[in-house]
Amino acid sequence: MNLSRARHSLAPWARIATLAVCALLTLGPVIWTVSTSLRVPAESFDLPPKIIPTDPTVESYRGVFDQIDVWLLALNSTLVTALIAVGQMITAGLAGYAFARLEFRFKKPLFGLVLATMMVPLQVTIVPVFLVLKSMGLTDTLLGLIIPAFPTAFGTFLMRQYFLGMPKDLGEAAMLDGCGPWRIFRSVYAPLAAPGLAIVGVLAFNYHWNEFFRPLILETSGQNYTLPLGLVSLQGNLGTGSISVVLAGVVLSMIPAVVVFVVGQRPLREGITSAGVNR
Amino acid sequence: MTNTRIPDVRPKQPTAARSAPVAAPRPSARDRGTRLLATLFLAPTIVGIVVFTVVPIVGSVVLSLFHWNVIDSPSFAGAANYREVFGDSTVLVSFRNTLVFMVFAVALQLLIALVLALAVNGRMPVWLRSVFRSAFFFPLVLSAASISVVMKYLFNQDFGVVNWLLGLVGFAPVPWLTSENAAMATVILVYVWQQFGFSFLLFVGGLNNIPKEIHEAASLDGATGLRKHLTITLPLLSPTLLVASVVGIINALQVFEQPYVLTNGGPGDSTRTVVMVIYESAFEQLRFGEASAVGVLLFVLIMAVTALQFRLSRRFVHYQ
Amino acid sequence: MTDSHLTRRTLLRYGAYGAGAAALAGTAASWDRLTGADIPGRDDGSLVVATLGPAYGPEAIRTLTEGFKRVHPDIKLRINAVQAVDWSDFFAKILTQIAAGTAPDLVYVATEGVQLFAQRLGVPLDRWVKRDAEELREYFADVHPSLVESMMYEGSLYQLPVEFNAADIYLNNQVLKRAGADFPAADWTRDDFTALLRDMKRASGSQFTPYFWTNRLWGGVVPWLFANDTNLLTESKAPGGAWLWDSFYPAAERAGRGGGFRWTTPQADHARVEEAYDYLASLIEEDLCNRPEGGNGQNLIGVFSTGRVGVTPAGGFWAGGLHLAGMKAGGFDTQYFPRWRTQRMQFGAAGYALLRTSKRQEEAWEFIKYAARRDTLMRLFNTNQTTPARRSMLTADRYRETGPDRWQVFYDTLDKFPDTGPIPAPPQVAEVEQVLLKHTGTALASRRAVAPALRRMQSDLEKAMERDV
Repeated sequence: MNLSRARHSLAPWARIATLAVCALLTLGPVIWTVSTSLRVPAESFDLPPKIIPTDPTVESYRGVFDQIDVWLLALNSTLVTALIAVGQMITAGLAGYAFARLEFRFKKPLFGLVLATMMVPLQVTIVPVFLVLKSMGLTDTLLGLIIPAFPTAFGTFLMRQYFLGMPKDLGEAAMLDGCGPWRIFRSVYAPLAAPGLAIVGVLAFNYHWNEFFRPLILETSGQNYTLPLGLVSLQGNLGTGSISVVLAGVVLSMIPAVVVFVVGQRPLREGITSAGVNR
Repeated sequence: MTNTRIPDVRPKQPTAARSAPVAAPRPSARDRGTRLLATLFLAPTIVGIVVFTVVPIVGSVVLSLFHWNVIDSPSFAGAANYREVFGDSTVLVSFRNTLVFMVFAVALQLLIALVLALAVNGRMPVWLRSVFRSAFFFPLVLSAASISVVMKYLFNQDFGVVNWLLGLVGFAPVPWLTSENAAMATVILVYVWQQFGFSFLLFVGGLNNIPKEIHEAASLDGATGLRKHLTITLPLLSPTLLVASVVGIINALQVFEQPYVLTNGGPGDSTRTVVMVIYESAFEQLRFGEASAVGVLLFVLIMAVTALQFRLSRRFVHYQ
Repeated sequence: MTDSHLTRRTLLRYGAYGAGAAALAGTAASWDRLTGADIPGRDDGSLVVATLGPAYGPEAIRTLTEGFKRVHPDIKLRINAVQAVDWSDFFAKILTQIAAGTAPDLVYVATEGVQLFAQRLGVPLDRWVKRDAEELREYFADVHPSLVESMMYEGSLYQLPVEFNAADIYLNNQVLKRAGADFPAADWTRDDFTALLRDMKRASGSQFTPYFWTNRLWGGVVPWLFANDTNLLTESKAPGGAWLWDSFYPAAERAGRGGGFRWTTPQADHARVEEAYDYLASLIEEDLCNRPEGGNGQNLIGVFSTGRVGVTPAGGFWAGGLHLAGMKAGGFDTQYFPRWRTQRMQFGAAGYALLRTSKRQEEAWEFIKYAARRDTLMRLFNTNQTTPARRSMLTADRYRETGPDRWQVFYDTLDKFPDTGPIPAPPQVAEVEQVLLKHTGTALASRRAVAPALRRMQSDLEKAMERDV
């Protein structure tokens, strides 16, 4: 795929230099965070900041592992995030296909309903949600975090766009061959959906890996805490925790998201490409 | 992916509706099958939404008609909560703040994303393009709350890295978080920094889908640089712009973490947003009825803005 | 369509199958984890205690649980450390549980929430205190009456304080040396304070702030109001409480004690309040102090320990924090808040509140007593992350490793200044605090802004106090 189509009036080197500055600005806070987590606390606030620590130490990371049960927290976070991601891929894939390629009554209002859920702030519904979960016996369980997150408005929207972007003659040809609606989905469209599903999965992972408010309200037992909740301990009583340890915790927690992003970057790009264009 | 692109699929034309009856050998049976499949496919999403969103929303709407402090049983209040809300200057200010935030945050986010997407799309080594793309998307993978803690330090007036950098080039220290004028700008900056990567990716994708021939034809006609972008690229990109702005606005109207951590709504009320007010009146002041009323109003506002956008989009969005 | 494309697609498909299978297998294997079935003692009638997470790490929870088990092997105990960043997050959690009818039996509550919980949710401890008076005599003898009084509401006691923090002044010794200044005397005045800040500023230049403070209820503007002999709300004492004072405290110490504080009429537009704000505004104007910054003061430890700040108000909790930040014991020291019209100081305390909804009140009382025992607190507060409420625990030994040298200041703040009192925290505390923080931000924009902002603060406070919580 040849991407360089647009010829710009700006000289290429100037354009690339500007981009480099922008990239540096974008990554600056992240670089500062990583480098501060590798310095002793006394050097945390040095100006100019020692971006390359003269005396790097992993003491802060040891501190994180000493103070909180990183492995249990990471296991919980992984379970919650992975299952939500898989669940959203399934619900969004199916619903997105239905909205894009199947004909049924109330299609438009139902699609509107799905989109409208994007517009509801979490803080408004958290108490009723808690009551619903309680009636299901799911409070203070990881499932209580996972199941309500299965329906995804944006994911459904994305998958609908994605399926709309596929040539419909493929389905029509299959229909002429006598395939029923299920077969058309199963053998014609579903195999093409992988990149779209990948983006739903990656976005779900990103969002739910970092989620704080829902776990705070819904989980009670320490054994059920997710990583973002556990990291709060590092801040210490009234914010007296070591800033290096706090940042080491932040860096540790961003590793899986980075890995997922790097691995998922290509499908992510392809998925977003078709989602953004076809209306 | 070249074979999967259909340029002229539009939202108002349900494709299956047009094609299905034409080719279907046994319409009724097939329709039944389709409907059954649709029901099965939609069930997980719709059931989930009804149980975990619609029921709680109905709960909130009902709650907005009651006084409830969680501890005692609710007492009916009629429209009192709404009257209270409309008479509360903090609530009104928070709506204004949220709208100001939305306009600037979304505009800035789209502008930065668009310019960078165009720049990245220019001629350069493949590996470099990939580095830039990753860099611009990176902040999106971070947690808003923890990165805001970092930003709070970086933007500190006296010891922050930002003012130190400005000092190097001769600027006086800026009270980023502690003056009413600067605080909102800082919150917007931090928000945009984290969010623009999403629109950026959308635009990169959108640009990839613009057929090469169109640009070549334009170049032959003598269109160059900015003019070419304004007259050709932008209209072709307008569907992507619509998606980016709809999602951007919906998210911006619900901003919470950044102002909560960076300024806690201050100084004064200058960065207090609607969702912050909802959170404060519910969980700090035990006024769940009023909090629900504000929530209902916010919901209505978001719906109205989104509907307006789609209406406007009919005029400005061009499909290839 | 090329072969490589097909291969990739096939790969993706098998990848999807693989992921699906792995998810199913993972779900099945971790079913107990997902449903919480692997957590022992859930919903088994345990006594449930909610504490603030950052203050109670896993280590502390283990200590508490195991220690309690030794004393009361028959009572099952579960401690939930709520991982809230601040009090409002903490309340959000507790309130949601109350709304759903799954409230804990005991909640760790600081001064900010004492009266709110007492008025709406709490059970007075009076009958148990009277019953177990003999057992508690040693506790009360060790705890300053001001701390106990701050846990009373309308004549009844609602918590046994286990920790407190007064707003004392921390000074960076290195900055003092740079400024060629002596360590301030115990009876230093506001003018001495100003002069010291000027010396520090002269000696240290830019990127240095002599006095740094955080805009919050505890340790923000309120210490200055106290020093200027005023308060945000009129302060009086409820009648009653004699039942406690008479049985546990000698005559000298119970003089003037009552049944807890009442904070009633707002007085933000009073001359002395304005005077205090005007003073702070003048410090800001002179560049001697930061503009009001919101939040929990998270960056403060770092900038103080590295000499970018000379002076700041903090309590005993900072000794442990500075040590963690790598500050040596001799690098800082503490002194009382400077005298203005008075040298009255402010504090916040915390303990366990028993909820009315609890069905295990007797067991809960046993936990309250256990949590206030000296040996419990010794184990719990071994890193100086707070000031213990028990006087006998403040020893040279405790502060040898972390500092400060003048560790006596922490408890003497109560002993030497018996009028030192809690931050104003009526049941409407959440709104009061919000109004205070909000208008403090605008009042200190400039000296001209003080008076109008305080007038607005006054009218907002009036509205807040009228409301029935």
